[in-house]
Amino acid sequence: MLRIIHFLAMTIIAVLCLLPIVWMVLGSMRSYQELFQYATQVNLHLLIPVKWTFQNYIDVIFDDQNPFLRYVFNTLFVASTVTFLVLLINSLAAFAFAKLSFRGSSVIFVLFMSALIIPGEVMLVPNYMLVNNLGWLNSFKGLIIPSTLSVFGIFMMKQFFEEIPTEILESARLDGASWLQIYRAIVLPASVPAMITFGIITFLGNWDAYLWPLVVINDDRMQMIQVAIANFTSMAGTEWTKVLAANTIATVPILVLFLVLQRYYVQGITMSGVKG
Amino acid sequence: MIAGKQYSLRRSDGITGFLFVLPAFILLLVFVFIPMAKAFYYSFNDYMLVSGSKTFVGLKNYADLLQDTKFLNSIKHTFYFAVIVIPVQTAIALGLALLVKPQFKYTGFFRTAFFVPVVISTAVAGTVFKLIYNRDFGLLNVLIGAVGIPKISLLSNADIAMNGVIILGIWKAAGFFMIVYLAGLNNIPQDLYESARVDGASKLQQFFYITLPLLKRTTAFIIIMTTIDAIKLSGIVFVLTSGGPNSSTETIVYFIYKTAFDQMQMGYASAAAFILFFMILIISVIQMLFLRSKVNY
Repeated sequence: MLRIIHFLAMTIIAVLCLLPIVWMVLGSMRSYQELFQYATQVNLHLLIPVKWTFQNYIDVIFDDQNPFLRYVFNTLFVASTVTFLVLLINSLAAFAFAKLSFRGSSVIFVLFMSALIIPGEVMLVPNYMLVNNLGWLNSFKGLIIPSTLSVFGIFMMKQFFEEIPTEILESARLDGASWLQIYRAIVLPASVPAMITFGIITFLGNWDAYLWPLVVINDDRMQMIQVAIANFTSMAGTEWTKVLAANTIATVPILVLFLVLQRYYVQGITMSGVKG
Repeated sequence: MIAGKQYSLRRSDGITGFLFVLPAFILLLVFVFIPMAKAFYYSFNDYMLVSGSKTFVGLKNYADLLQDTKFLNSIKHTFYFAVIVIPVQTAIALGLALLVKPQFKYTGFFRTAFFVPVVISTAVAGTVFKLIYNRDFGLLNVLIGAVGIPKISLLSNADIAMNGVIILGIWKAAGFFMIVYLAGLNNIPQDLYESARVDGASKLQQFFYITLPLLKRTTAFIIIMTTIDAIKLSGIVFVLTSGGPNSSTETIVYFIYKTAFDQMQMGYASAAAFILFFMILIISVIQMLFLRSKVNY
């Protein structure tokens, strides 16, 4: 009996969690008239299309004014580049903090950690003015380069690298390997799961970025998907089925990525929560 | 001889270590510390971006902000959001974690289902909920109408619009904190429950005397994280309401954005950003004090 109540409660909550998304995907496959015709009372067709159509997708994808595939590509490019650079730059730093002793390392580490309490939202104005002075407005450079530092990533990777036995690294060092070779041949292969965890958090964070692209990019053709969707909604306010199609295009890749790699994503959250 | 060799190793190792940290350190200086220092300086200036005119005004920006009803209202809206979301979302997250904690065949599916909203991007969630909240064609009014509740127009009524933001905020973030709670629950030693059961403690007693006290650290962490997230609230507001109707959903970050990028008042916006920063700083200090007092099982 308790098992049944437990199961029912979870089912109801799951419906509340998933209904908006299911409704978005199914709504993108119906005509404009249909969406509103069945939108006033509870019945099967509130959700399920009467006549399935892909016209909304065709309209959205082949719209010269709003080339959504281009926005998806822009965002994929920026988010992948940022993720690659974030992993490289910050894992190198984390490795040095964890395993190499150099003068002032503890002071420099404290400097990094003190930046943890400065949230991106506070940096919006100063970083905009910096990027403006550098002439990087309206360029992917302006999106990518300021995003390549992850202080949280350094903290997280350092914790992980400290678990690698120092003796292995030292013996490789005595055999004449450089630290860069050790990093590539021993440290990187040993930290693939941690790198995937850190990578997927970075990628999803950048895919979702809204405020920074909004201020850096003005050129329509260089726009990121999230800003494009928000603009599209206010412009095409009445073309709701197209809005839903654009939303679905922006969601499906990320949802698939998440479902495949969710173990790592959840691990990352757990780590940040437990370590506090 | 050996000592000499080791010495030279350490020396080059020291240089390597520094070189490995250097790229990140340059980024830290260029994109965090120098901009923060500059912005701090700008916050004492009347600095218009368009004209480029810059005059030192001392604390005038800060004094003006504390009398600017728009700014004070943005703080009010932000705190309204925080005051509701912190207890409600924490309770929901704990409830969800307790629901998916048992390892039945199907709990894995529900865990994923509860977590999916976290992955949905803010812009997508914002636009979809805009339609869901629509007075005449929105899913919300159809569903509550089916159980006899009269239609509400969440986003066009200034008195209740913030609640629309709150509902979406909780929908999107509760699954995230569920995972944090789940990790906390899994850290509680099972034998505590077993001995409690032997002593005849009911499920409810076990929850109040074992689970809740041992989740104190996790709960403190979640409350502080939620508070900081609430104070930084902006994305949902941008997409869902654009601060409206009648400025009723403008938050602090939204105010900073508008001051900087609509009115181009960089000095004034910088001062507002520093007030935001000090709020977050105070919460972070409280966090450190809190988490330093370790609770031992």
